[in-house]
Amino acid sequence: MPFVKSGETSHLRVEPRRSAGALTSADPETRWNAARAIGIDADAVPQLAAALRAEPVPRVREAIITALMRIGDEASIAALMACLRSPDAGLRTACLDALRAMPQAILPFLASALEDHDSDVRIMATELARSVPPADANRLLCKLLEGERHANVCAVAIDVLAEVGTSDAIPALQKCAERFRTTAFLPFAASIAIARISGTEG
Amino acid sequence: MANPEAHRPAGVWVTPDEVRRLCDFIYRRTGMLFADNKRYYVDRRLAERIAATHSLSFQAYFALLRSNADGEIQHLVNAFTVNETYFYREEHQLRCMTSNLLNGATDRARPIRIWSIPCSTGEEPYSIAIWLMENWSQVDQYSIEIIGSDIDTTALKAAEIGIYGDRALMRLSPQLIDRYFEPLTDDHYRIDPGLTNSIHFTRANLVDAQQMAHYRDFDIIFCRNVLIYFDDSSRRMAAESLYDCLRPGGYIFLGHSETMSRISPLFDVCRFSDAIVYRRPETDHGDN
Amino acid sequence: METIEKTSTQLRASILVVDDSSLVRLYYREALEKTGLAIEEAINGIEAMEKVLAQAFDLVIVDINMPGMDGLTFLRTLRSTADAATTPVLMITTQASKHDVENARMAGANFYLVKPVSQAELVRHACVLTGLPT
Repeated sequence: MPFVKSGETSHLRVEPRRSAGALTSADPETRWNAARAIGIDADAVPQLAAALRAEPVPRVREAIITALMRIGDEASIAALMACLRSPDAGLRTACLDALRAMPQAILPFLASALEDHDSDVRIMATELARSVPPADANRLLCKLLEGERHANVCAVAIDVLAEVGTSDAIPALQKCAERFRTTAFLPFAASIAIARISGTEG
Repeated sequence: MANPEAHRPAGVWVTPDEVRRLCDFIYRRTGMLFADNKRYYVDRRLAERIAATHSLSFQAYFALLRSNADGEIQHLVNAFTVNETYFYREEHQLRCMTSNLLNGATDRARPIRIWSIPCSTGEEPYSIAIWLMENWSQVDQYSIEIIGSDIDTTALKAAEIGIYGDRALMRLSPQLIDRYFEPLTDDHYRIDPGLTNSIHFTRANLVDAQQMAHYRDFDIIFCRNVLIYFDDSSRRMAAESLYDCLRPGGYIFLGHSETMSRISPLFDVCRFSDAIVYRRPETDHGDN
Repeated sequence: METIEKTSTQLRASILVVDDSSLVRLYYREALEKTGLAIEEAINGIEAMEKVLAQAFDLVIVDINMPGMDGLTFLRTLRSTADAATTPVLMITTQASKHDVENARMAGANFYLVKPVSQAELVRHACVLTGLPT
């Protein structure tokens, strides 16, 4: 048989626990190892946050995000939320994916994110509302729909409400459809959302 | 008002669109993706869960699922993953391994390293070995190292003993059974000791980065139907460890419905005719 | 959902719609089916890749923003896949910013539209890109 069984799996000198200082190393591998070695250490959040904003290598960025997720305190969430407004699409998406997984932790941040001046941030915050408890999602998104002028933000809000909306959301959906009656897609989306909420969708 | 007798699976009508919405939700939450040809599978599991939760409609069940009452999401995930293990499970992945992945192997100086984690009671690493001998024309030109690891030491012991019931062998032809197994007295078979001696079984915990750091330079890793059970940060950590365990350009197979896209963006997606495989890039991507 | 065999594409073009919103997919489906086009759906890039390899499409309509594998990554993967490399792709972007449009073009999109897309716009472009009369 061609199979070999080495007496040991390849032994690697396991890196000693690194301090957060190694996050600023010029070597991506060092930064990767540093991010992965940080335990649940709230003191590391400021360095992680700074590293996150500056990190050019996507996989190192992911490791930094994982570290922040594991710490999961208010400062970590704030650091991740702050990256939603980054001009770097990769960073935004990476942080959004992480935040999606932490519905309880993000809830206190959503209200203000939904009022952000940047429509892309509002879109992402609306998407995040999908994972919070339905009562909160309904409350937040109905309020959003009342004043939202950007069609794509409304589109996402309607999509989320189609999934988690309760009958309390119907008036807001109807008003939105009316306000955007000449805009593509929105009246259609609102009517489907209402039908799903009412249980009348065919 | 509802008649308890009405809570039979057949009593709740679910439209194709509703099944679609359920699949969308499952994908968002767990990364499990069900292709159209697997929809019947979803239909059945959904009907089971609707009945088990005494839901009167899809709408009611979906609301329950979204609120994750009583951990319903986990119940649903469990219903979807068949925990039975047997030889030559997901043969299309084994075929992809020999038809597509190992074709590129050229360096005969170093062994080809393949890891099955979790290996449970050994069916998977043994299947890999048998498949290679049966289906890879170049198998004798290389050193091949197969490692099977699991967190469950009882399962590992069983793997090292190598005795299986005939149910585990159901996908194997009589010729293969004859070639690699010795029949025992009670519908059980022992696998060829040559194979038992060829595979290195170890205890390893995917979520323990320190343990995982001892495993390096793998060409192919089989990590099936386990990552979906972890919470999000554990899943990410496991994925980061697995990345380091692979050689640059190395491949990882997940379970048939799992997608790495929800687990980790560290890996590239490779679509072959037999399977989807995830790959550690040869070099770091510059930017997205 | 029937799969349309290659031989019938003279009669009906087959289109793959890729968007993570079920409402958007429904909206596009409604519009495209009215004009006799055959529609398949995918929720993300991975599912889309599965479908593209299972059958030939005359057009793929893909949203740029999808969780998991985003539209640009899907498109680049598509373009490097032998069977499907030349499939026409209509990319749906959220802004007409030069950045988005340029990215779409470089990834290999044939055309782009900015959300929200009207059914009429969609059908018009779908017909042009599949070579059907508008």
